[in-house]
Order: sequence, then structure tokens, then C-alpha cells
Amino acid sequence: MEKISRYIMVFIAVITLTIFLPKLYWMAFEKPVRKPFIQYSCINNEFMIQRTSEKKWEDTKGKQYSREEYEQMLPMMFFKQLLASGTMPDSIKGTALEMRAISREKSFFRLKANEIDAPKPGLYPLFESRSGRAQLELPDDFFRITWRIEFIDAATNKIQEEKSQMFSAALFHKGFSFPTKTISGLPTPRKSCDEGYLILDSKDQLFHLKMIKDKPFVKKVDVPEGLKFRQISCVDFKNKDFYAYLFSDKNEIYILTQDDYQFIKWPIDEYDMSNCDLKIFGDLFNYMVIIEAEDHIKAIALTADYQLVEAFTEYWKTKEQLTEGKIFASLFPARLSMASENSKFIRFYFTPSKGFDWVFLNILLMAFHFIWLSRRKVRLKNHLADLGIVAVCGIYGLIAIHFFKNKFFD
Amino acid sequence: MWKSVFYKEWLKIRWFIIGYTLLGILGIGYLFLALKHSFAFTGGKNVWNTVLFQGYQFYGLFKFVPLAGGLTIAVAQYLPETINKRLKLTFHLPLAGNRALLLMQAFGAGSLLVSFLIFFGLVAGFSLIYFPIQMVTDGVITILPWLLAGFAAYFMVALVVLEPNRIFRLCYSLVGGFFLTIYFTSAGTAAYAPANSGLFILTALLSIAFVFSAYRFRKGEM
Repeated sequence: MEKISRYIMVFIAVITLTIFLPKLYWMAFEKPVRKPFIQYSCINNEFMIQRTSEKKWEDTKGKQYSREEYEQMLPMMFFKQLLASGTMPDSIKGTALEMRAISREKSFFRLKANEIDAPKPGLYPLFESRSGRAQLELPDDFFRITWRIEFIDAATNKIQEEKSQMFSAALFHKGFSFPTKTISGLPTPRKSCDEGYLILDSKDQLFHLKMIKDKPFVKKVDVPEGLKFRQISCVDFKNKDFYAYLFSDKNEIYILTQDDYQFIKWPIDEYDMSNCDLKIFGDLFNYMVIIEAEDHIKAIALTADYQLVEAFTEYWKTKEQLTEGKIFASLFPARLSMASENSKFIRFYFTPSKGFDWVFLNILLMAFHFIWLSRRKVRLKNHLADLGIVAVCGIYGLIAIHFFKNKFFD
Repeated sequence: MWKSVFYKEWLKIRWFIIGYTLLGILGIGYLFLALKHSFAFTGGKNVWNTVLFQGYQFYGLFKFVPLAGGLTIAVAQYLPETINKRLKLTFHLPLAGNRALLLMQAFGAGSLLVSFLIFFGLVAGFSLIYFPIQMVTDGVITILPWLLAGFAAYFMVALVVLEPNRIFRLCYSLVGGFFLTIYFTSAGTAAYAPANSGLFILTALLSIAFVFSAYRFRKGEM
């Protein structure tokens, strides 16, 4: 039992060291990646790049701009500054620039990988979509969907049976298959109006649920054959062109148009929602899609009617590819982390080091331990497991077996 | 014989475990008093909204209570054993191998378990008055690693206190101190759901860790 308890402690020490030694290493040696800010210019039809840390403004051909010139190339992004400095053009490409139109078409959307792999609340407020009030008000009840939809009054924590039955019946009559896969909406009163929720039922059918004058509004949305959505992100843009960005299980991006419920696929590829962050800027002339991965940024310009204009990609070395990363891979066989940039869940995230450079150090440490044992003239038979631990776990194993000494088993 | 061992342990920790449990119950009482106040003054819908969408954890003050309990009971139980090496008397009891030690540990861990079950029952039970089962389940998932940390701290302190060599005591403390932080990674409500089973296994493994330092203590390692 003493042996078992020692190996348990060695195991616990290896886990602890695999978490904390790499963490300390990267705290000491990691250099920040300065990602460029890329926008598409509707003036010169070029991607404009801002490198904040270097105070450089340039285009993809390397032409340098002053800050003022750069802002003038992006009038939709910096219109307030251009208005203040009196350099805002009256029209672009024959389109007169009116403040109301610029403001109406301006939009921004961001989706991080860790927002997709995250705990979901399970209860949502269903707002009154036509309250007649200037501002939305948080309802007194929240709904959940299990074998039916249930509204629970927050003040009393009691199910509102009548309302629950009315909404369950409405969903049931539209062919809703309980329970749900995802419930997507904007559960906040801080929005211009309420468009309810887009709900994927257990058979991947898509439904639009709203409450209008205390009555259910349920619309079954016809999804093209074979199309399955993994993530739906509702939006509240002023132009009211579409309800949501929808992301398929093949990493395709769709929008669902407002009122006529049409799916439009955007010409975007190379977006992996499990490890990339996505930003979408919209304005009067273009949509600008930015995909940020660990080792590159891809900027894709679309027209206002979602046709591809141009794409630009810039790569950089990941921390693993830099000298400090190579040294890390030579020292440590793996790293363990409880948190990840791509998830809000806490897990044991195990990442083996790239390549096998660490094998050399592991063998060296094993040889060191072997010599150390030989000099103490111990029976090697009792230390074979320790040598194996050092061979596999390297520096973590060596520290662990010396913290929890194998002294009494000689 | 096990009754005698349990009685001896009870005499050592009774006031600590009773005091700790009473303080914990008072703390939980305060949490729900504050919650009741929030419901009365800001309204149930606003409290639910902050819990569901703004990451508010009304039980957040409870975070380090189990850890404090584990440390307190372990020190109360094992520190007296190391004074004048009293633990050596335990090894002369007519119990085979590590049985006496395991009985001691079982009593300490069992006392903590009773205390934690009271806390858990109170938090979950009172929560069900104010929140539906989904929200209470998410709260339970959030609290579970904190409770496991209480046990892990208890097992780790036993390992450290019984270790006879000061340098190794420091080594164990380092491992234990860093290891305990994995139960407290900054995260939102229910984020620990995928990790809880792994943490449970690690905590269960830790329950016999002290046998190693007790063995060294018995052998007179210096």
C-alpha cells in the first residue's frame, strides 16, 4: 500500500508539474502576437492594414500611408473622424453619402470559438415582440424546453401552466419535435426590437418562435436538404436584412433573411469555428469578414449583396514555431491545461509537444537518474518503474520521483 | 477496536468540526438572506437574469469554505499526532498494517463528508425555493469542485503533516498547493461539468496518499 500511495503521489505531482511548469515557462518567454487590423477600402479597392504596435498604415502592396490618408481610405469606418476634420467625401462610386444610410448599414458581429463550446443557460426570457413600448421590458417569466415548453415565473418559481400549454400546443401543431438542440436569440432587453428565438429541435428542424400580444408565433423554416446547423447567432442590425448568422456542421456561413426566411450562403471557406475567431463588419458598400486563426488572419471582402470581391491572408509564426517554442518542445514532452482559448469549459486539455525533440532530454534524464542510482548502490530492480516514469514523463517525472523518494523499497 | 479509534479521533476534532459546521451553516444562512433581499428589492426576474446571463453566482462566497474545512480538520487531527511523535503509539495498536491510520483518515474524511453534505443539502434545498432545477443543477456543478478541494486539502495536509523530513514537507506542500489550484480555475457557472469526474477520481486517489508519509514517519526517516 505504501508503494501504491507513493505512485499515486508521483502521478499527482506529474499532473501538477505538467500544468504549471509550461505555464511558468510561457509566462517568462511568450511574446505577444501583434495581429494586424485589416479593412477593405471602398475608395481604392485595396485591403488597408493598420499595424498599431509599429504605428504603420499600409496596403497589401506595401504602400505606406499617413494616419489621415489611411482614415480617408476607409470613410465608412472613420466617418465621424472625417466629418470632424472636414474630409468626408460627398459620394463614393456615385452613391451619395447620407448619415442615416451609413448608420443604418453599419454593423459588427463577433463570434469567438469559446462562445460556441460553452455552457448554455437553459432558460431564456421570451419578450413581447409588439408591446407598443419604446423600450423592451424583461418579462416576469423565463422558458425552458424539455418534453414541452414551460414558462416559469421568476418571482414565485412556479410553472405558468396555461401559457406553457398554449405555447407547447403551438409548437406541437407546427411539427416541433421536443426537446431541442439549440435555442438562439438575444436574451437582453437592450436591443432595438425583439425577434424571438430560432430553435433547432431534436430532428434538426428550424423554428422561429416569438410572442406577439401574449400569443405564440411559430414559423417552421424550410431548411435545405442535408443542411445541419451547429451554431446560430441572432443579430439586431439596423438594416433588418437578416435574422441571424448560421454556421453549418461543415463550417459554412449562412444568413437567414428577414421576413422571407431565405438562406443565403456566403462565399467563405477556411473558417473552422472550433478554433477560429470570426469578425464581420458591414457597411454601405461591403461586408468584411475577418477569420483569426492561431497562425494567420484571413480578410475577405464581400459586396453588399454578399458576392466575393477579394481575399487576403497574412501568416505569422506560432509560438511553437519560434525559438522559444522549439526550446519548449525539447524540454517538455507535453503540457496540460485546465482552460483553453477555444472553450469556456474547464477540462484536462492535454497537448503533446510537436516533434520528438523531448525524447533526447528524457533519455538524458533517465541516464542521469540511472547514474545517480548506481552511485548509491541501490537494487536497480526496485527502481525500474521510476526509470520508466522518467523515460515517458521526462523532467516532470524526474522531479516527481525525487519529491516522493523511492527510498524504502531497496 | 475501530470504535476506540473513532472515539479518539472524535475527541481531537469534535469542537473543530462542530464549530466549522455551525459557522458554515451561518454563512449559508447569510447567503440566502442576501438572496431573499435581492429578490425583494430588485425582483426575481432581474436576479434570474443576472444569474443566467451575467454569470452572477450568489453562492460565490462559499468558494473557499470547504477548503478551509479540509485544512482545519486535517491540522486538528494530525498535528497533535506529530507532537512528541504520538502517532507511534497508534502503530502499536492491535490492528494490522495501516488499518489504524486508514480508520483515522476515514473518520476525518467522514466527518468532513457529513459537514459538506449538510452544506450541500442546505444550498441545493434553499436554491430550489428560488430557482428551477436547471439553474440549481448548474450551481451544483459549479460548487462540486470546491467541495472536492476540501477533501483534497484534507488529504494533502495529512500527507504533509505526517512527513518527518522538513525538506520533503516543503516539496509536498509545493505539489499540494499548486495541485489545489486546479479546483479553482476561474470559470463561469457550470464550466467544470466536463472536469468534475476527473477531479473526483484524482481526489479519491489522494485519499491514501498519506500512507506514504506515515510509512516514512513509522520508519523514523529524518
